[in-house]
Amino acid sequence: MAFWPRKSKQNETRVCDPDAKPFAVFENVGLEIAERSVLTGLTLRLTEDRIGVIGLNGSGKSTFVRLLNGLRTPSSGELSLFGVPATLAEPELPRHVGFVFQNPDHQAIFPTVEEEIAFGLTQLGSDKDESRSRARAFLATHGCEALADRPISELSEGQKQLICILAVLVMEPRLLVLDEPMTSLDALATSRIRSMLMSLPQKIVLVSHDLSHFEGFDRIFWLEEGRLRMDGPPHEVLAAYRADLDIKLNNKLELVAL
Amino acid sequence: MIAMQIPGDTWAHRLPAGLKLVAVAVASILLFQVSSFWTLLPCLAAVISLYASLGRQGLAQLKLLRGLSVLLACLLALHWLSGTLLEGFAIILRLIIMILAANFVSVTTRMDDMMAAVQPLFRPLEWLGISSRKPALGVTLVLRFTPYMLQVFSMLQEAYRARTGSSGSWRLLAPFAIQSLRMSDHVAEALKARGGSDGLTR
Repeated sequence: MAFWPRKSKQNETRVCDPDAKPFAVFENVGLEIAERSVLTGLTLRLTEDRIGVIGLNGSGKSTFVRLLNGLRTPSSGELSLFGVPATLAEPELPRHVGFVFQNPDHQAIFPTVEEEIAFGLTQLGSDKDESRSRARAFLATHGCEALADRPISELSEGQKQLICILAVLVMEPRLLVLDEPMTSLDALATSRIRSMLMSLPQKIVLVSHDLSHFEGFDRIFWLEEGRLRMDGPPHEVLAAYRADLDIKLNNKLELVAL
Repeated sequence: MIAMQIPGDTWAHRLPAGLKLVAVAVASILLFQVSSFWTLLPCLAAVISLYASLGRQGLAQLKLLRGLSVLLACLLALHWLSGTLLEGFAIILRLIIMILAANFVSVTTRMDDMMAAVQPLFRPLEWLGISSRKPALGVTLVLRFTPYMLQVFSMLQEAYRARTGSSGSWRLLAPFAIQSLRMSDHVAEALKARGGSDGLTR
């Protein structure tokens, strides 16, 4: 991937409808990376507020969620986001879709917390001083004003991830996509971040290996080898997933298959 | 690790970023005109007193020189070999003063102020259709990720030592390069997810 994203020729008129229901429609979407099929035959309509994505390593979860903010584009099938085809929506997607990555060290761009938060506001067109004061106010509403001047490299893992989430939320997206955001966090940080996420007005798509994170969710997708293995309410999908895991665990542990 | 910024609101933080940058540039040019110890030593004292005026956190920044000591010693050795030891001392002194002065500006200036101050220099790029924001953002990224890269390197060193019992610094260069490329891929993705280097208003 090129270091600098290619220049987007954005029209003055916006095409996305942030309130579109469903916000994403997949019609037989497939995706190949280097001639290897990563996702196959996905047909879905996303409307729910809290959507979980589960699956083993390499099942295509990360690629799937990257389709939602234009970091990946389908190689086949039709994908529309916020009411328009994904290719048209792409230049506007960073405005509507906040994306939180697994490793906060790869996401935070600026040396200090306040600058990191302010970056999203300058991206949306605020000038430097306005961004800075709004960033400070935003940190205060989330009880983080004490962190404002701290260098990001000196924060705890939990604080770093919290700042990464806030840096995305300050742009007021409609949808928040999180790709295993709690993987490097301790139990306390995980629980705090989870309850903060659950209180947000945004729609959420969460990828996680810890099934307890999906309490209170509306819908779960289970991906297996790039296909949708199961889709439904959490209690059904999670139970089936656990049962399948048990079977796999009881079969002789094949390390090669990990 | 040395902090990249001294948090706070001292006199040095309050000076405009542009003024500080111009002052360092002018001081560097003037410094090249002098080679007498009687001028250089007071300059060194002056730049150290700038750090001292920021208190203990300021003085801690002087540890920066420790990392440079090998390079400076090599330079001095080269001069000694070519029989210009005294000149070598003057050059090293001048380098130390300039590095300390430049570092003083970077630890007391917020990155976004620095970006805003530097950006006009890249304006001519806009005639070529290249955003002047890109180089400024590039500089920011280098400063943000340098400490992280050092951390990555020491992680590789630990992993190597854990399996071999010896440190293999040069052997780690290739894996380090790969790690760096992978990291830049991740960072590019994260930047793109928030609207890319051009922002969302164009």
